[in-house]
Amino acid sequence: MPLNLERFRAAYDKWVEESLPDYQAGRMEHIIKTYPFVVPDDIPWTAYSGDPANQTFALLSSGGLYLKESQPAFDTASIHGDISFREIPKTVQQQDLGIAHKHYDHGLAEQDINTIFPIHRFIELEQETVIGTLAETHYSFSYVNNAVGLVEKTLPELISRLKAQAIDVLFLVPV
Amino acid sequence: MGLIQRAVEEAGIPTISMGNAIDRMSLIKPPRALLVKFARGCMFGEPGNKERQRRIVMDGLEALQTMTEPGTIKELPYKWKRPDPS
Repeated sequence: MPLNLERFRAAYDKWVEESLPDYQAGRMEHIIKTYPFVVPDDIPWTAYSGDPANQTFALLSSGGLYLKESQPAFDTASIHGDISFREIPKTVQQQDLGIAHKHYDHGLAEQDINTIFPIHRFIELEQETVIGTLAETHYSFSYVNNAVGLVEKTLPELISRLKAQAIDVLFLVPV
Repeated sequence: MGLIQRAVEEAGIPTISMGNAIDRMSLIKPPRALLVKFARGCMFGEPGNKERQRRIVMDGLEALQTMTEPGTIKELPYKWKRPDPS
Protein backbone atom coordinates (compact mmCIF):
# COMPACT_ATOMS: atom_id res chain seq x y z
CA MET A 1 0.00 0.00 0.00
CA PRO A 2 1.43 3.42 -0.86
CA LEU A 3 2.01 6.08 1.75
CA ASN A 4 -1.27 7.52 3.00
CA LEU A 5 -0.43 11.21 2.96
CA GLU A 6 -3.81 12.41 4.17
CA ARG A 7 -3.66 10.26 7.27
CA PHE A 8 -0.10 11.39 7.89
CA ARG A 9 -0.99 15.06 7.41
CA ALA A 10 -3.61 14.99 10.18
CA ALA A 11 -1.32 13.15 12.62
CA TYR A 12 1.59 15.42 11.72
CA ASP A 13 -0.35 18.65 12.28
CA LYS A 14 -1.32 17.40 15.72
CA TRP A 15 2.27 16.39 16.45
CA VAL A 16 3.57 19.84 15.46
CA GLU A 17 1.11 21.53 17.77
CA GLU A 18 1.92 19.28 20.71
CA SER A 19 5.68 19.15 20.14
CA LEU A 20 6.50 22.78 19.51
CA PRO A 21 7.32 23.66 23.15
CA ASP A 22 9.63 20.63 23.47
CA TYR A 23 11.21 21.38 20.09
CA GLN A 24 11.88 24.98 21.01
CA ALA A 25 13.41 23.83 24.29
CA GLY A 26 15.64 21.34 22.45
CA ARG A 27 14.03 18.29 24.05
CA MET A 28 14.39 16.19 20.92
CA GLU A 29 14.29 12.74 22.44
CA HIS A 30 10.65 12.99 23.43
CA ILE A 31 9.37 14.45 20.20
CA ILE A 32 11.24 11.91 18.08
CA LYS A 33 9.44 9.17 20.00
CA THR A 34 6.03 10.67 19.32
CA TYR A 35 6.62 11.55 15.64
CA PRO A 36 3.83 9.95 13.57
CA PHE A 37 6.14 7.76 11.57
CA VAL A 38 4.22 6.55 8.56
CA VAL A 39 5.71 3.70 6.65
CA PRO A 40 3.70 1.55 4.29
CA ASP A 41 3.80 -2.24 4.59
CA ASP A 42 5.26 -2.84 1.19
CA ILE A 43 8.90 -2.41 0.22
CA PRO A 44 9.51 -0.93 -3.23
CA TRP A 45 11.96 -2.84 -5.37
CA THR A 46 13.69 -2.26 -8.68
CA ALA A 47 15.82 -5.26 -9.58
CA TYR A 48 19.47 -4.42 -10.06
CA SER A 49 21.06 -5.72 -13.23
CA GLY A 50 24.21 -5.09 -15.19
CA ASP A 51 27.73 -4.34 -14.09
CA PRO A 52 28.82 -1.37 -11.93
CA ALA A 53 31.72 -0.88 -14.35
CA ASN A 54 29.24 0.22 -17.01
CA GLN A 55 26.89 2.27 -14.85
CA THR A 56 26.41 5.80 -13.55
CA PHE A 57 26.29 6.33 -9.78
CA ALA A 58 25.08 9.27 -7.71
CA LEU A 59 25.32 9.94 -3.98
CA LEU A 60 22.69 11.36 -1.69
CA SER A 61 23.42 12.54 1.85
CA SER A 62 21.09 13.72 4.57
CA GLY A 63 23.95 15.41 6.38
CA GLY A 64 22.87 18.98 5.67
CA LEU A 65 25.74 19.66 3.23
CA TYR A 66 25.70 22.82 1.14
CA LEU A 67 28.17 24.95 -0.79
CA LYS A 68 29.16 27.76 1.56
CA GLU A 69 29.95 30.26 -1.20
CA SER A 70 26.97 29.81 -3.49
CA GLN A 71 24.05 28.10 -1.73
CA PRO A 72 21.87 29.03 1.22
CA ALA A 73 22.17 26.93 4.35
CA PHE A 74 19.24 24.67 5.26
CA ASP A 75 16.61 25.92 7.68
CA THR A 76 17.61 24.41 11.02
CA ALA A 77 15.19 26.39 13.17
CA SER A 78 11.80 25.20 11.96
CA ILE A 79 10.12 22.19 13.54
CA HIS A 80 9.19 21.16 9.99
CA GLY A 81 12.85 20.86 9.06
CA ASP A 82 13.72 21.76 5.49
CA ILE A 83 12.31 19.88 2.50
CA SER A 84 14.71 21.38 -0.03
CA PHE A 85 17.90 19.80 -1.34
CA ARG A 86 21.23 21.11 -2.57
CA GLU A 87 23.14 19.92 -5.60
CA ILE A 88 26.74 19.09 -4.78
CA PRO A 89 29.15 18.92 -7.72
CA LYS A 90 31.51 16.02 -8.20
CA THR A 91 34.42 18.46 -8.01
CA VAL A 92 33.57 19.53 -4.46
CA GLN A 93 36.38 19.90 -1.95
CA GLN A 94 36.19 19.65 1.82
CA GLN A 95 36.63 23.41 2.29
CA ASP A 96 33.69 24.20 -0.03
CA LEU A 97 31.15 22.52 2.21
CA GLY A 98 29.12 23.87 5.08
CA ILE A 99 26.92 21.68 7.28
CA ALA A 100 23.47 22.87 8.38
CA HIS A 101 21.92 20.14 10.51
CA LYS A 102 21.39 20.43 14.25
CA HIS A 103 20.88 16.83 15.19
CA TYR A 104 24.25 15.15 14.86
CA ASP A 105 27.87 15.90 15.72
CA HIS A 106 29.60 17.37 12.66
CA GLY A 107 33.09 17.05 14.13
CA LEU A 108 34.21 14.00 12.17
CA ALA A 109 32.65 15.12 8.88
CA GLU A 110 34.42 18.46 9.25
CA GLN A 111 37.71 16.57 9.44
CA ASP A 112 36.87 14.30 6.51
CA ILE A 113 33.67 14.67 4.54
CA ASN A 114 34.07 11.12 3.26
CA THR A 115 32.92 9.84 6.66
CA ILE A 116 29.39 10.80 5.61
CA PHE A 117 29.70 11.51 1.88
CA PRO A 118 32.38 9.30 0.30
CA ILE A 119 32.67 11.30 -2.90
CA HIS A 120 36.45 10.98 -3.10
CA ARG A 121 36.33 7.20 -2.78
CA PHE A 122 33.78 7.09 -5.60
CA ILE A 123 36.02 9.26 -7.77
CA GLU A 124 38.88 6.79 -7.18
CA LEU A 125 36.63 3.88 -8.12
CA GLU A 126 35.64 5.68 -11.31
CA GLN A 127 39.32 6.26 -12.15
CA GLU A 128 39.99 2.56 -11.57
CA THR A 129 36.94 1.67 -13.74
CA VAL A 130 35.36 -0.27 -10.87
CA ILE A 131 32.33 1.90 -11.59
CA GLY A 132 31.52 3.34 -14.99
CA THR A 133 30.74 6.97 -14.24
CA LEU A 134 30.33 9.07 -11.15
CA ALA A 135 27.60 11.61 -11.88
CA GLU A 136 28.56 15.27 -12.18
CA THR A 137 25.93 16.22 -9.58
CA HIS A 138 25.07 14.71 -6.18
CA TYR A 139 22.38 15.58 -3.65
CA SER A 140 22.18 16.72 -0.06
CA PHE A 141 19.23 17.02 2.29
CA SER A 142 19.07 18.03 5.92
CA TYR A 143 16.63 17.29 8.72
CA VAL A 144 13.05 16.87 7.43
CA ASN A 145 9.88 16.34 9.42
CA ASN A 146 7.39 17.60 6.86
CA ALA A 147 6.97 14.37 4.93
CA VAL A 148 3.97 15.72 2.99
CA GLY A 149 5.99 18.55 1.48
CA LEU A 150 8.88 16.20 0.84
CA VAL A 151 6.75 13.64 -1.00
CA GLU A 152 4.55 16.08 -2.91
CA LYS A 153 7.06 18.76 -3.88
CA THR A 154 10.64 17.70 -3.48
CA LEU A 155 10.80 14.06 -4.48
CA PRO A 156 9.27 14.48 -7.96
CA GLU A 157 11.89 17.16 -8.64
CA LEU A 158 14.71 14.98 -7.32
CA ILE A 159 13.61 12.00 -9.41
CA SER A 160 13.36 14.13 -12.52
CA ARG A 161 16.94 15.33 -11.99
CA LEU A 162 18.21 11.80 -11.37
CA LYS A 163 16.57 10.66 -14.60
CA ALA A 164 17.92 13.64 -16.53
CA GLN A 165 21.42 12.56 -15.45
CA ALA A 166 20.64 8.93 -16.42
CA ILE A 167 21.54 7.69 -12.95
CA ASP A 168 21.65 3.88 -12.77
CA VAL A 169 22.16 3.58 -9.00
CA LEU A 170 21.61 5.96 -6.08
CA PHE A 171 23.75 5.40 -2.97
CA LEU A 172 22.06 7.03 0.03
CA VAL A 173 23.90 7.88 3.22
CA PRO A 174 21.87 9.08 6.19
CA VAL A 175 23.63 10.59 9.19
CA MET B 1 15.79 9.41 4.21
CA GLY B 2 13.55 6.35 4.16
CA LEU B 3 10.90 8.11 2.09
CA ILE B 4 13.52 9.37 -0.36
CA GLN B 5 14.93 5.90 -0.89
CA ARG B 6 11.46 4.41 -1.35
CA ALA B 7 10.46 7.04 -3.90
CA VAL B 8 13.63 6.63 -5.96
CA GLU B 9 13.35 2.85 -5.94
CA GLU B 10 9.67 3.14 -6.93
CA ALA B 11 10.71 5.40 -9.79
CA GLY B 12 12.80 2.56 -11.23
CA ILE B 13 16.29 3.41 -9.96
CA PRO B 14 17.92 0.77 -7.73
CA THR B 15 19.13 2.14 -4.40
CA ILE B 16 21.35 1.12 -1.53
CA SER B 17 21.44 2.89 1.81
CA MET B 18 23.14 2.62 5.17
CA GLY B 19 22.12 2.70 8.78
CA ASN B 20 23.43 2.17 12.29
CA ALA B 21 20.25 1.28 14.22
CA ILE B 22 18.47 -1.92 13.33
CA ASP B 23 15.28 -0.98 15.20
CA ARG B 24 14.95 2.22 13.18
CA MET B 25 15.82 0.45 9.95
CA SER B 26 13.19 -2.21 10.63
CA LEU B 27 10.65 0.59 10.86
CA ILE B 28 11.84 2.40 7.73
CA LYS B 29 12.20 -0.80 5.70
CA PRO B 30 14.77 0.28 3.11
CA PRO B 31 14.83 -1.80 -0.10
CA ARG B 32 18.56 -2.61 0.38
CA ALA B 33 20.82 -1.48 3.19
CA LEU B 34 24.10 -1.96 4.99
CA LEU B 35 24.17 -1.87 8.79
CA VAL B 36 27.29 -0.46 10.43
CA LYS B 37 28.42 -0.32 14.06
CA PHE B 38 29.39 3.34 13.89
CA ALA B 39 27.76 6.35 15.51
CA ARG B 40 25.74 9.02 13.73
CA GLY B 41 27.85 11.34 11.63
CA CYS B 42 30.41 8.73 10.57
CA MET B 43 28.73 5.89 8.67
CA PHE B 44 31.99 5.22 6.81
CA GLY B 45 34.15 5.03 9.90
CA GLU B 46 37.06 7.09 11.13
CA PRO B 47 38.16 10.30 9.38
CA GLY B 48 41.07 9.64 7.05
CA ASN B 49 40.59 5.86 6.99
CA LYS B 50 40.38 5.70 3.20
CA GLU B 51 40.78 1.94 3.08
CA ARG B 52 37.78 1.39 5.30
CA GLN B 53 35.68 3.97 3.43
CA ARG B 54 36.52 2.25 0.17
CA ARG B 55 35.74 -1.16 1.62
CA ILE B 56 32.28 -0.04 2.73
CA VAL B 57 31.55 1.45 -0.71
CA MET B 58 32.66 -1.86 -2.24
CA ASP B 59 30.36 -3.69 0.21
CA GLY B 60 27.56 -1.53 -1.19
CA LEU B 61 28.41 -2.49 -4.76
CA GLU B 62 28.47 -6.15 -3.79
CA ALA B 63 25.14 -5.82 -1.98
CA LEU B 64 23.56 -4.40 -5.12
CA GLN B 65 24.67 -7.40 -7.09
CA THR B 66 23.79 -10.05 -4.53
CA MET B 67 20.65 -8.88 -2.69
CA THR B 68 17.55 -10.32 -4.29
CA GLU B 69 14.89 -9.83 -1.60
CA PRO B 70 13.28 -6.44 -0.89
CA GLY B 71 14.19 -5.28 2.60
CA THR B 72 17.54 -7.06 2.86
CA ILE B 73 19.87 -5.56 5.47
CA LYS B 74 23.47 -6.76 5.66
CA GLU B 75 25.43 -6.19 8.83
CA LEU B 76 29.06 -5.19 8.29
CA PRO B 77 31.70 -6.44 10.74
CA TYR B 78 33.84 -3.29 11.09
CA LYS B 79 34.47 -1.83 14.53
CA TRP B 80 35.58 1.67 15.41
CA LYS B 81 39.38 2.02 15.40
CA ARG B 82 39.86 -1.74 15.16
CA PRO B 83 41.43 -3.42 12.14
CA ASP B 84 39.10 -4.86 9.54
CA PRO B 85 38.53 -8.58 9.94
CA SER B 86 40.34 -10.51 7.23
